[in-house]
Amino acid sequence: MKKGKIRKIAISGGKGGTGKSTFSVLLANKLIKEGHKVALVDVDVECPNDYLLLNQKLRKIEKFVYAKFPKLDKRKCRKCGLCVKSCKSNAIFQAPDRYPIFLQELCSACGVCQLICPYNAIHTKRVKTGKIFATCVKKNLWLVTGQAKAGLEETGPVVAQVKKFALDFAKKKDIDTLLFDTAAGVHCPVIQALIGIDFAYAVTEPTPMGAYDLELLLSLSQKLKIRTKVILNQANLGNKKFIEKVVSKYKTQIVNTIPYSKNLAKAYSNGQLLDFKYNLKLK
Amino acid sequence: MKICISSIGKNLSSSVDPRFGRCPYFLIVDSEKAKKFKVIENTGTQAQHGAGVTAAQIIANQKIDIAISGNFGPNAYIVLSQAGIKCYTVSGSISVKEALQLLDQGKLQQIIKASSGHPDNGFVAEKK
Repeated sequence: MKKGKIRKIAISGGKGGTGKSTFSVLLANKLIKEGHKVALVDVDVECPNDYLLLNQKLRKIEKFVYAKFPKLDKRKCRKCGLCVKSCKSNAIFQAPDRYPIFLQELCSACGVCQLICPYNAIHTKRVKTGKIFATCVKKNLWLVTGQAKAGLEETGPVVAQVKKFALDFAKKKDIDTLLFDTAAGVHCPVIQALIGIDFAYAVTEPTPMGAYDLELLLSLSQKLKIRTKVILNQANLGNKKFIEKVVSKYKTQIVNTIPYSKNLAKAYSNGQLLDFKYNLKLK
Repeated sequence: MKICISSIGKNLSSSVDPRFGRCPYFLIVDSEKAKKFKVIENTGTQAQHGAGVTAAQIIANQKIDIAISGNFGPNAYIVLSQAGIKCYTVSGSISVKEALQLLDQGKLQQIIKASSGHPDNGFVAEKK
Protein backbone atom coordinates (compact mmCIF):
# COMPACT_ATOMS: atom_id res chain seq x y z
CA MET A 1 0.00 0.00 0.00
CA LYS A 2 1.28 3.45 -0.95
CA LYS A 3 2.17 5.66 1.94
CA GLY A 4 -0.43 8.28 2.67
CA LYS A 5 -3.13 6.48 0.74
CA ILE A 6 -6.27 5.85 2.75
CA ARG A 7 -7.95 2.53 2.11
CA LYS A 8 -11.74 2.75 1.87
CA ILE A 9 -13.74 -0.39 2.52
CA ALA A 10 -17.54 -0.59 2.57
CA ILE A 11 -19.58 -3.14 4.47
CA SER A 12 -23.01 -3.62 2.94
CA GLY A 13 -25.17 -6.58 2.02
CA GLY A 14 -28.67 -5.65 0.94
CA LYS A 15 -30.79 -7.32 3.59
CA GLY A 16 -31.17 -5.79 7.03
CA GLY A 17 -30.12 -7.67 10.15
CA THR A 18 -27.53 -9.88 8.48
CA GLY A 19 -24.67 -8.64 10.65
CA LYS A 20 -23.13 -5.72 8.75
CA SER A 21 -22.35 -3.82 11.93
CA THR A 22 -21.19 -6.94 13.79
CA PHE A 23 -18.83 -7.80 10.96
CA SER A 24 -17.64 -4.17 10.75
CA VAL A 25 -16.59 -4.26 14.39
CA LEU A 26 -14.93 -7.68 14.05
CA LEU A 27 -13.06 -6.45 10.99
CA ALA A 28 -12.01 -3.22 12.71
CA ASN A 29 -10.68 -5.27 15.61
CA LYS A 30 -8.71 -7.52 13.28
CA LEU A 31 -7.19 -4.55 11.46
CA ILE A 32 -6.06 -2.70 14.58
CA LYS A 33 -4.45 -5.89 15.85
CA GLU A 34 -2.53 -6.02 12.56
CA GLY A 35 -1.20 -2.56 13.31
CA HIS A 36 -3.56 -0.41 11.23
CA LYS A 37 -5.12 2.84 12.30
CA VAL A 38 -8.81 2.47 11.64
CA ALA A 39 -11.91 4.63 11.64
CA LEU A 40 -15.25 2.89 11.54
CA VAL A 41 -17.69 5.22 9.80
CA ASP A 42 -21.35 4.59 10.48
CA VAL A 43 -23.09 5.79 7.32
CA ASP A 44 -26.41 4.19 8.20
CA VAL A 45 -27.45 7.76 8.92
CA GLU A 46 -31.15 7.03 9.37
CA CYS A 47 -30.43 4.74 12.28
CA PRO A 48 -26.76 4.67 13.27
CA ASN A 49 -26.05 2.06 15.92
CA ASP A 50 -22.37 1.17 15.80
CA TYR A 51 -21.85 3.37 18.82
CA LEU A 52 -24.11 1.06 20.81
CA LEU A 53 -22.13 -2.00 19.77
CA LEU A 54 -18.96 -0.23 20.84
CA ASN A 55 -20.49 0.97 24.10
CA GLN A 56 -19.98 4.61 23.20
CA LYS A 57 -22.15 7.69 23.63
CA LEU A 58 -22.83 10.28 20.97
CA ARG A 59 -21.88 13.41 22.86
CA LYS A 60 -19.76 15.91 21.07
CA ILE A 61 -21.03 17.09 17.71
CA GLU A 62 -18.07 17.58 15.38
CA LYS A 63 -20.00 19.09 12.54
CA PHE A 64 -23.50 19.86 11.37
CA VAL A 65 -24.67 18.78 7.95
CA TYR A 66 -26.59 21.32 5.92
CA ALA A 67 -28.57 21.17 2.71
CA LYS A 68 -29.69 24.00 0.49
CA PHE A 69 -33.40 23.81 -0.07
CA PRO A 70 -35.19 25.86 -2.72
CA LYS A 71 -37.09 29.00 -1.79
CA LEU A 72 -39.31 30.86 -4.21
CA ASP A 73 -39.06 34.55 -4.96
CA LYS A 74 -42.66 35.29 -5.94
CA ARG A 75 -41.77 38.65 -7.45
CA LYS A 76 -39.69 36.93 -10.11
CA CYS A 77 -41.72 33.73 -10.65
CA ARG A 78 -43.81 33.63 -13.85
CA LYS A 79 -45.50 30.30 -12.95
CA CYS A 80 -44.03 28.62 -16.05
CA GLY A 81 -43.88 25.20 -14.37
CA LEU A 82 -40.39 24.26 -15.61
CA CYS A 83 -39.21 23.58 -12.05
CA VAL A 84 -42.05 21.11 -11.51
CA LYS A 85 -41.06 19.17 -14.63
CA SER A 86 -37.38 19.19 -13.70
CA CYS A 87 -37.83 17.73 -10.21
CA LYS A 88 -36.89 14.05 -10.00
CA SER A 89 -37.91 13.81 -6.35
CA ASN A 90 -41.55 14.82 -6.98
CA ALA A 91 -41.02 17.58 -4.45
CA ILE A 92 -42.56 20.46 -6.39
CA PHE A 93 -46.26 20.89 -6.98
CA GLN A 94 -48.10 23.53 -8.89
CA ALA A 95 -51.83 24.00 -9.08
CA PRO A 96 -53.02 25.54 -12.38
CA ASP A 97 -52.20 29.27 -12.49
CA ARG A 98 -50.70 29.26 -8.99
CA TYR A 99 -47.16 29.58 -7.68
CA PRO A 100 -45.28 26.28 -7.32
CA ILE A 101 -44.90 24.93 -3.80
CA PHE A 102 -41.81 23.09 -2.58
CA LEU A 103 -42.13 20.10 -0.28
CA GLN A 104 -38.98 20.03 1.78
CA GLU A 105 -39.51 16.51 3.14
CA LEU A 106 -39.30 15.10 -0.37
CA CYS A 107 -36.54 17.40 -1.65
CA SER A 108 -33.02 16.02 -2.08
CA ALA A 109 -31.56 19.54 -2.38
CA CYS A 110 -30.02 18.66 -5.74
CA GLY A 111 -30.39 22.23 -7.01
CA VAL A 112 -31.77 21.38 -10.46
CA CYS A 113 -34.86 23.59 -10.09
CA GLN A 114 -32.64 26.55 -9.27
CA LEU A 115 -30.49 25.93 -12.36
CA ILE A 116 -33.44 25.44 -14.68
CA CYS A 117 -35.49 28.49 -13.64
CA PRO A 118 -35.25 30.99 -16.52
CA TYR A 119 -36.24 33.92 -14.25
CA ASN A 120 -33.82 33.27 -11.36
CA ALA A 121 -36.82 33.05 -9.10
CA ILE A 122 -35.51 30.16 -7.03
CA HIS A 123 -33.09 30.97 -4.24
CA THR A 124 -31.88 28.62 -1.54
CA LYS A 125 -32.07 28.49 2.20
CA ARG A 126 -29.62 26.53 4.34
CA VAL A 127 -31.26 23.96 6.57
CA LYS A 128 -29.65 21.61 9.08
CA THR A 129 -30.18 18.02 7.95
CA GLY A 130 -27.80 16.06 10.14
CA LYS A 131 -25.00 15.76 12.64
CA ILE A 132 -21.59 14.12 12.64
CA PHE A 133 -20.01 12.70 15.78
CA ALA A 134 -16.48 11.41 16.25
CA THR A 135 -15.15 9.40 19.17
CA CYS A 136 -11.88 7.68 19.92
CA VAL A 137 -12.91 4.18 21.00
CA LYS A 138 -9.48 2.89 21.89
CA LYS A 139 -5.91 3.25 20.67
CA ASN A 140 -5.92 3.32 16.86
CA LEU A 141 -9.70 2.99 16.57
CA TRP A 142 -12.06 5.85 15.96
CA LEU A 143 -15.78 5.89 15.37
CA VAL A 144 -17.36 8.46 13.08
CA THR A 145 -21.15 8.52 13.19
CA GLY A 146 -23.47 10.27 10.79
CA GLN A 147 -27.01 10.98 11.90
CA ALA A 148 -29.71 12.42 9.66
CA LYS A 149 -32.46 14.59 11.05
CA ALA A 150 -35.40 12.38 12.01
CA GLY A 151 -38.01 12.25 9.28
CA LEU A 152 -35.71 13.38 6.48
CA GLU A 153 -36.65 11.36 3.40
CA GLU A 154 -33.62 11.91 1.20
CA THR A 155 -30.60 10.97 3.26
CA GLY A 156 -28.11 10.33 0.44
CA PRO A 157 -26.63 13.86 0.63
CA VAL A 158 -26.04 13.43 4.39
CA VAL A 159 -24.08 10.23 3.69
CA ALA A 160 -21.95 12.07 1.11
CA GLN A 161 -21.03 14.75 3.64
CA VAL A 162 -20.27 12.22 6.39
CA LYS A 163 -17.90 10.46 3.96
CA LYS A 164 -16.18 13.72 3.15
CA PHE A 165 -15.79 14.50 6.84
CA ALA A 166 -14.39 11.00 7.50
CA LEU A 167 -11.77 11.42 4.79
CA ASP A 168 -10.56 14.74 6.22
CA PHE A 169 -10.65 13.24 9.70
CA ALA A 170 -8.51 10.31 8.54
CA LYS A 171 -5.92 12.66 7.08
CA LYS A 172 -5.78 14.66 10.30
CA LYS A 173 -5.45 11.61 12.55
CA ASP A 174 -3.13 9.68 10.23
CA ILE A 175 -5.72 6.90 9.84
CA ASP A 176 -4.94 4.39 7.07
CA THR A 177 -8.22 2.46 6.79
CA LEU A 178 -11.80 3.69 6.68
CA LEU A 179 -14.57 1.13 7.15
CA PHE A 180 -17.94 2.37 5.98
CA ASP A 181 -20.85 0.53 7.57
CA THR A 182 -23.76 1.19 5.20
CA ALA A 183 -27.52 1.01 5.61
CA ALA A 184 -29.51 -1.99 4.41
CA GLY A 185 -31.05 -1.83 0.94
CA VAL A 186 -29.76 -0.54 -2.37
CA HIS A 187 -31.32 2.93 -2.33
CA CYS A 188 -29.77 6.39 -2.49
CA PRO A 189 -27.94 6.39 0.88
CA VAL A 190 -26.35 3.02 0.07
CA ILE A 191 -25.36 4.06 -3.46
CA GLN A 192 -23.88 7.25 -2.04
CA ALA A 193 -21.94 5.20 0.55
CA LEU A 194 -20.51 2.90 -2.13
CA ILE A 195 -19.38 5.58 -4.58
CA GLY A 196 -15.61 5.98 -4.59
CA ILE A 197 -14.98 2.93 -2.39
CA ASP A 198 -11.94 0.69 -3.09
CA PHE A 199 -13.48 -2.56 -2.01
CA ALA A 200 -16.68 -3.88 -0.45
CA TYR A 201 -17.84 -6.75 1.69
CA ALA A 202 -21.42 -7.94 1.39
CA VAL A 203 -22.64 -9.54 4.59
CA THR A 204 -25.54 -11.92 4.11
CA GLU A 205 -27.37 -14.85 5.69
CA PRO A 206 -28.34 -18.25 4.25
CA THR A 207 -32.02 -17.48 3.59
CA PRO A 208 -33.99 -16.79 0.38
CA MET A 209 -34.40 -13.15 1.50
CA GLY A 210 -30.67 -12.86 2.15
CA ALA A 211 -29.95 -14.23 -1.32
CA TYR A 212 -32.50 -11.99 -3.02
CA ASP A 213 -31.16 -8.81 -1.44
CA LEU A 214 -27.55 -9.93 -1.93
CA GLU A 215 -28.23 -10.22 -5.64
CA LEU A 216 -29.56 -6.66 -5.73
CA LEU A 217 -26.46 -5.41 -3.94
CA LEU A 218 -24.04 -7.36 -6.13
CA SER A 219 -25.72 -6.04 -9.25
CA LEU A 220 -25.40 -2.51 -7.86
CA SER A 221 -21.72 -2.89 -6.99
CA GLN A 222 -21.14 -4.39 -10.44
CA LYS A 223 -22.64 -1.26 -11.99
CA LEU A 224 -20.46 0.92 -9.76
CA LYS A 225 -17.45 -1.29 -10.64
CA ILE A 226 -16.66 -2.06 -7.00
CA ARG A 227 -15.03 -5.40 -6.25
CA THR A 228 -17.29 -7.08 -3.70
CA LYS A 229 -16.77 -10.24 -1.69
CA VAL A 230 -19.32 -12.06 0.40
CA ILE A 231 -19.39 -12.81 4.13
CA LEU A 232 -21.89 -15.47 5.13
CA ASN A 233 -23.14 -14.88 8.65
CA GLN A 234 -25.06 -17.43 10.75
CA ALA A 235 -23.71 -19.83 8.17
CA ASN A 236 -24.77 -23.05 9.88
CA LEU A 237 -28.45 -22.08 9.88
CA GLY A 238 -30.74 -22.01 6.84
CA ASN A 239 -29.57 -23.15 3.43
CA LYS A 240 -26.25 -22.11 1.95
CA LYS A 241 -27.33 -23.06 -1.59
CA PHE A 242 -29.35 -19.85 -2.04
CA ILE A 243 -26.25 -17.77 -1.47
CA GLU A 244 -23.85 -19.98 -3.44
CA LYS A 245 -26.05 -19.64 -6.50
CA VAL A 246 -25.96 -15.83 -6.40
CA VAL A 247 -22.25 -15.77 -5.57
CA SER A 248 -21.36 -17.89 -8.60
CA LYS A 249 -23.68 -15.87 -10.86
CA TYR A 250 -21.79 -12.71 -9.95
CA LYS A 251 -18.42 -14.47 -10.14
CA THR A 252 -17.41 -13.52 -6.63
CA GLN A 253 -16.68 -15.68 -3.60
CA ILE A 254 -17.61 -16.25 0.02
CA VAL A 255 -14.46 -15.18 1.85
CA ASN A 256 -15.63 -15.92 5.36
CA THR A 257 -18.39 -17.85 7.08
CA ILE A 258 -19.41 -16.90 10.59
CA PRO A 259 -21.37 -19.62 12.40
CA TYR A 260 -24.26 -18.70 14.64
CA SER A 261 -23.01 -18.07 18.15
CA LYS A 262 -25.02 -17.22 21.23
CA ASN A 263 -21.94 -15.70 22.85
CA LEU A 264 -21.40 -13.39 19.91
CA ALA A 265 -25.03 -12.26 20.13
CA LYS A 266 -24.59 -11.66 23.87
CA ALA A 267 -21.43 -9.60 23.35
CA TYR A 268 -23.32 -7.64 20.68
CA SER A 269 -26.22 -6.89 23.00
CA ASN A 270 -23.96 -5.88 25.88
CA GLY A 271 -21.85 -3.51 23.80
CA GLN A 272 -18.82 -5.74 24.32
CA LEU A 273 -18.27 -6.78 20.75
CA LEU A 274 -14.82 -5.24 20.63
CA ASP A 275 -13.60 -7.50 23.44
CA PHE A 276 -15.15 -10.57 21.88
CA LYS A 277 -12.46 -13.06 21.00
CA TYR A 278 -13.11 -14.05 17.44
CA ASN A 279 -10.51 -15.10 14.98
CA LEU A 280 -11.69 -13.50 11.75
CA LYS A 281 -9.93 -15.13 8.83
CA LEU A 282 -10.52 -13.74 5.38
CA LYS A 283 -9.68 -15.73 2.31
CA MET B 1 -68.26 20.04 -11.14
CA LYS B 2 -65.41 17.65 -11.96
CA ILE B 3 -64.82 14.71 -9.68
CA CYS B 4 -61.79 12.43 -9.67
CA ILE B 5 -61.82 8.93 -8.14
CA SER B 6 -58.82 6.67 -7.60
CA SER B 7 -59.68 3.36 -9.22
CA ILE B 8 -58.19 -0.06 -9.73
CA GLY B 9 -59.85 -0.39 -13.16
CA LYS B 10 -60.92 1.64 -16.16
CA ASN B 11 -64.70 1.78 -15.77
CA LEU B 12 -67.41 2.91 -13.37
CA SER B 13 -68.01 -0.58 -12.00
CA SER B 14 -64.33 -0.88 -10.96
CA SER B 15 -63.52 -0.72 -7.26
CA VAL B 16 -62.25 2.47 -5.70
CA ASP B 17 -58.53 2.07 -4.99
CA PRO B 18 -57.90 2.76 -1.30
CA ARG B 19 -54.56 4.36 -2.17
CA PHE B 20 -54.51 7.78 -3.72
CA GLY B 21 -50.86 8.19 -4.73
CA ARG B 22 -50.27 4.67 -5.99
CA CYS B 23 -53.59 3.78 -7.64
CA PRO B 24 -53.28 2.65 -11.28
CA TYR B 25 -56.04 4.87 -12.71
CA PHE B 26 -58.03 7.98 -12.05
CA LEU B 27 -61.58 8.22 -13.38
CA ILE B 28 -62.70 11.77 -14.00
CA VAL B 29 -66.42 12.34 -13.99
CA ASP B 30 -68.29 15.52 -14.77
CA SER B 31 -71.35 15.76 -12.54
CA GLU B 32 -73.28 17.63 -15.23
CA LYS B 33 -72.68 14.91 -17.84
CA ALA B 34 -73.29 11.96 -15.59
CA LYS B 35 -72.50 9.09 -17.90
CA LYS B 36 -69.37 10.46 -19.52
CA PHE B 37 -66.05 9.87 -17.87
CA LYS B 38 -62.38 10.02 -18.69
CA VAL B 39 -59.65 7.55 -17.65
CA ILE B 40 -56.26 8.85 -16.74
CA GLU B 41 -53.34 6.60 -16.01
CA ASN B 42 -51.40 7.39 -12.84
CA THR B 43 -47.82 7.46 -14.10
CA GLY B 44 -46.23 8.14 -10.73
CA THR B 45 -46.93 4.79 -9.07
CA GLN B 46 -43.33 3.54 -9.16
CA ALA B 47 -41.77 6.58 -7.48
CA GLN B 48 -39.76 5.84 -4.35
CA HIS B 49 -40.95 9.02 -2.70
CA GLY B 50 -43.59 11.53 -3.65
CA ALA B 51 -46.05 9.33 -5.51
CA GLY B 52 -48.87 11.29 -3.91
CA VAL B 53 -47.49 14.62 -5.13
CA THR B 54 -47.10 13.32 -8.68
CA ALA B 55 -50.63 11.95 -8.63
CA ALA B 56 -51.95 15.25 -7.25
CA GLN B 57 -50.13 17.10 -10.03
CA ILE B 58 -51.71 14.86 -12.67
CA ILE B 59 -55.24 15.45 -11.44
CA ALA B 60 -54.73 19.13 -10.60
CA ASN B 61 -53.84 19.65 -14.25
CA GLN B 62 -57.32 18.31 -15.08
CA LYS B 63 -58.82 21.17 -13.06
CA ILE B 64 -60.96 18.97 -10.89
CA ASP B 65 -62.99 20.15 -7.88
CA ILE B 66 -63.31 17.00 -5.78
CA ALA B 67 -61.05 13.97 -5.23
CA ILE B 68 -62.30 10.68 -3.81
CA SER B 69 -60.07 7.90 -2.51
CA GLY B 70 -59.65 5.55 0.44
CA ASN B 71 -56.76 7.53 1.88
CA PHE B 72 -54.74 10.63 1.10
CA GLY B 73 -51.15 10.77 2.25
CA PRO B 74 -49.84 13.88 4.01
CA ASN B 75 -48.06 15.36 0.98
CA ALA B 76 -50.93 14.66 -1.39
CA TYR B 77 -53.39 16.25 1.00
CA ILE B 78 -51.27 19.37 1.47
CA VAL B 79 -50.92 20.02 -2.24
CA LEU B 80 -54.51 19.10 -3.14
CA SER B 81 -55.91 21.50 -0.58
CA GLN B 82 -53.49 24.15 -1.79
CA ALA B 83 -54.97 23.64 -5.25
CA GLY B 84 -58.45 24.12 -3.77
CA ILE B 85 -59.47 20.52 -4.35
CA LYS B 86 -61.77 18.98 -1.74
CA CYS B 87 -60.83 15.50 -0.59
CA TYR B 88 -63.41 12.87 0.35
CA THR B 89 -62.72 9.38 1.64
CA VAL B 90 -64.63 6.16 1.21
CA SER B 91 -64.26 3.12 3.44
CA GLY B 92 -64.49 -0.53 2.49
CA SER B 93 -64.57 -1.99 -0.98
CA ILE B 94 -67.08 -0.15 -3.13
CA SER B 95 -67.32 0.65 -6.83
CA VAL B 96 -66.65 4.03 -8.40
CA LYS B 97 -70.36 4.28 -9.27
CA GLU B 98 -71.40 3.64 -5.67
CA ALA B 99 -68.88 6.18 -4.41
CA LEU B 100 -70.39 8.80 -6.72
CA GLN B 101 -73.90 7.99 -5.48
CA LEU B 102 -72.75 8.33 -1.86
CA LEU B 103 -71.19 11.68 -2.69
CA ASP B 104 -74.46 12.79 -4.29
CA GLN B 105 -76.39 11.79 -1.17
CA GLY B 106 -73.93 13.70 1.00
CA LYS B 107 -72.81 10.50 2.71
CA LEU B 108 -69.10 10.83 2.11
CA GLN B 109 -66.80 12.40 4.67
CA GLN B 110 -64.65 15.32 3.67
CA ILE B 111 -61.23 15.06 5.26
CA ILE B 112 -59.61 17.94 7.06
CA LYS B 113 -56.41 16.18 8.06
CA ALA B 114 -54.20 13.77 6.15
CA SER B 115 -53.58 10.16 7.13
CA SER B 116 -50.00 9.03 7.48
CA GLY B 117 -48.73 7.66 4.20
CA HIS B 118 -49.78 4.08 3.66
CA PRO B 119 -53.33 2.90 4.24
CA ASP B 120 -52.56 -0.23 6.21
CA ASN B 121 -50.41 1.10 9.02
CA GLY B 122 -53.18 1.65 11.49
CA PHE B 123 -53.85 5.37 11.11
CA VAL B 124 -57.18 6.66 9.91
CA ALA B 125 -57.94 10.06 8.48
CA GLU B 126 -59.52 12.42 10.96
CA LYS B 127 -63.00 13.32 9.82
CA LYS B 128 -65.00 16.47 10.03
